[in-house]
Amino acid sequence: MRYVKLPQENFEEFFNSLKNWGKVYAPVKKGNIYSFQHVEKPSEIAFDYTRTMLPPKKFFVRPKDEMLRLKGGKWEEIDGVEPVVLFGVHSCDIHGLEILDKVYLNEPVDPYYKKRRENSIIIGMSCMPDEYCFCKSLGTDFAMHGFDLFLHELPDGWLVRVGSVKGHEIAWENEELFEELTEEDMRNFREFEEKRANSFKKHLNKEGLEDMLDLAFNSPVWKKYEKICLGCGNCNMVCPTCRCYEVCDLWMNAYEAVRVRRYDSCFMETHGLVAGGHNFRPTRLDRFRHRYYCKSYFDPSAGFNCVGCGRCDEFCPAKIEHVKVLDEVREGLQ
Amino acid sequence: MTFQTHDARILEVKELTSREKLFTLRFVDPELNRSFKYKPGQFVIVDIRGFGEFPISLCSTPTREGYFQLCVRRVGRMTKYMHKLKEGDIVGIRGPYGNGFPMEKMEGSTLVLVAGGLGMAPLRSVLWYALDTGKYEKIYLFYGTKAYEDILFRDEVIHLLKHGEDMNCHVKLAYEVESPSCIYLEKGYSPRVCKGVVTDLFRGETFDVENTYALICGPPVMYKYVIKELLDRKLSPGRIYMTLERRMRCGVGKCGHCIVGTSTSIKYVCKDGPVFTYWDALSTRGLI
Repeated sequence: MRYVKLPQENFEEFFNSLKNWGKVYAPVKKGNIYSFQHVEKPSEIAFDYTRTMLPPKKFFVRPKDEMLRLKGGKWEEIDGVEPVVLFGVHSCDIHGLEILDKVYLNEPVDPYYKKRRENSIIIGMSCMPDEYCFCKSLGTDFAMHGFDLFLHELPDGWLVRVGSVKGHEIAWENEELFEELTEEDMRNFREFEEKRANSFKKHLNKEGLEDMLDLAFNSPVWKKYEKICLGCGNCNMVCPTCRCYEVCDLWMNAYEAVRVRRYDSCFMETHGLVAGGHNFRPTRLDRFRHRYYCKSYFDPSAGFNCVGCGRCDEFCPAKIEHVKVLDEVREGLQ
Repeated sequence: MTFQTHDARILEVKELTSREKLFTLRFVDPELNRSFKYKPGQFVIVDIRGFGEFPISLCSTPTREGYFQLCVRRVGRMTKYMHKLKEGDIVGIRGPYGNGFPMEKMEGSTLVLVAGGLGMAPLRSVLWYALDTGKYEKIYLFYGTKAYEDILFRDEVIHLLKHGEDMNCHVKLAYEVESPSCIYLEKGYSPRVCKGVVTDLFRGETFDVENTYALICGPPVMYKYVIKELLDRKLSPGRIYMTLERRMRCGVGKCGHCIVGTSTSIKYVCKDGPVFTYWDALSTRGLI
């Protein structure tokens, strides 16, 4: 990895240069919520944001996504991928995208996802955890790949890690804006990371998590939470790794239709329903438990299906806490 | 492209029962028609343009080239539309998807096909494949339906019931609701036709467990009971294959609707299945 320094006074110029690579999206504060929005100048960016409501997956798997357009009885591929620069993506969300990559770029490749991934630049940004974050427990608090540039906060600028060829190209083109790192910068970087590591309030015990959960299939904890959970599916919508989608055809006019896919949620009763009326997950208990099993599945090549971003906790109207549920299930087993 | 479907023309529509129709199709593109290869147990996604897509298993055999067949039960919005289609109409097809039955591995063995209701559709592919290739020692077909009128591919099944012995194919039928036709069949072919459920057909049957594979397809409730019968006869779980149904939307392991299992073992029915062994069911909760 190449490490360089971007002094604060050069930041604006660096930011402006990013526009050459695509439309720049960065976290913006709207009311009490942060979200990735198109930005024109650095002053619009919320540098100290914790988490956006919708994760960056919305750029690659859109909430409502047109796949094909029906014209004269034939499906036509919908084109129109614009190059985007996602600025300020946190480490957990970078890991979240890598989990999506494992699914969507696996054979057969999802053409829409692939095209959008190839046309995007990911610029990471360091962060401070709040009361919901537990990424450290899952090892997703630091990204070693999956980004083009990663900006770490320093008192007088940014320590930049260059993570890809595209990242190198951006740094190359803006060579005059970057400096070599000094001993002091490295000390500051270490201090920041240490402070960050010590700021986590939430911790998930992931030791033997998959087996522990599997053993606790009939745990009374699931039954307790079945009654608390509202089954709204918010946690699915905001999760950076949830990716279930539903497909439907919509008519635009008498001659044209589009095939659209949209986010689906395993909390919906229709998720496991097949034609004929048989439901493979008929109760909320089944559906609640299913989400925890899906998130806690450990893929040897991609890790857990959860990155500890804390969105499901923050946006749960019933105040259900992911870590607390898993801890209670574990306690119930002992 | 992954989700682009290919034009296929309906060559023939045949009414099987009051709810099921058999569609014979062929790709419009002759090259695609030649290159379309599939295995018994695989499925395709049918695309009714402007209305949506649905998965359906192939019920024809790959040994008969130039066309493929789908048995469609009218059960929802999409299949209702499909039933309105006539000869010459075009639908979109993508696939084949799924793993299919390991036909080559089972060569030389006895096959016990256990079908319940619509489960006959994918097993018909196996049945005809086995009969066409002649590479299997013996074929049993245990088929349970609601009534005589619900027997799918009735002509074929009854033909095999009467004359199958010559082809080493032993057919047994069970029905739940009596009608004059079943009584006629039962009189002629007792004890191979009986009133009851599919597990009743196992009565008095023994298999050479070293050389037998069981292939099951039917409604969700059926698996547990059929597997019990097979295990009682000491058939190894690795020799029990079943093909499962889930809400397969994309068919390629992306949309997540067919995910089964728990934290230790998650499987996509569309991609890792739909054919699983009983070993898989023992290690993956929620499979059956």
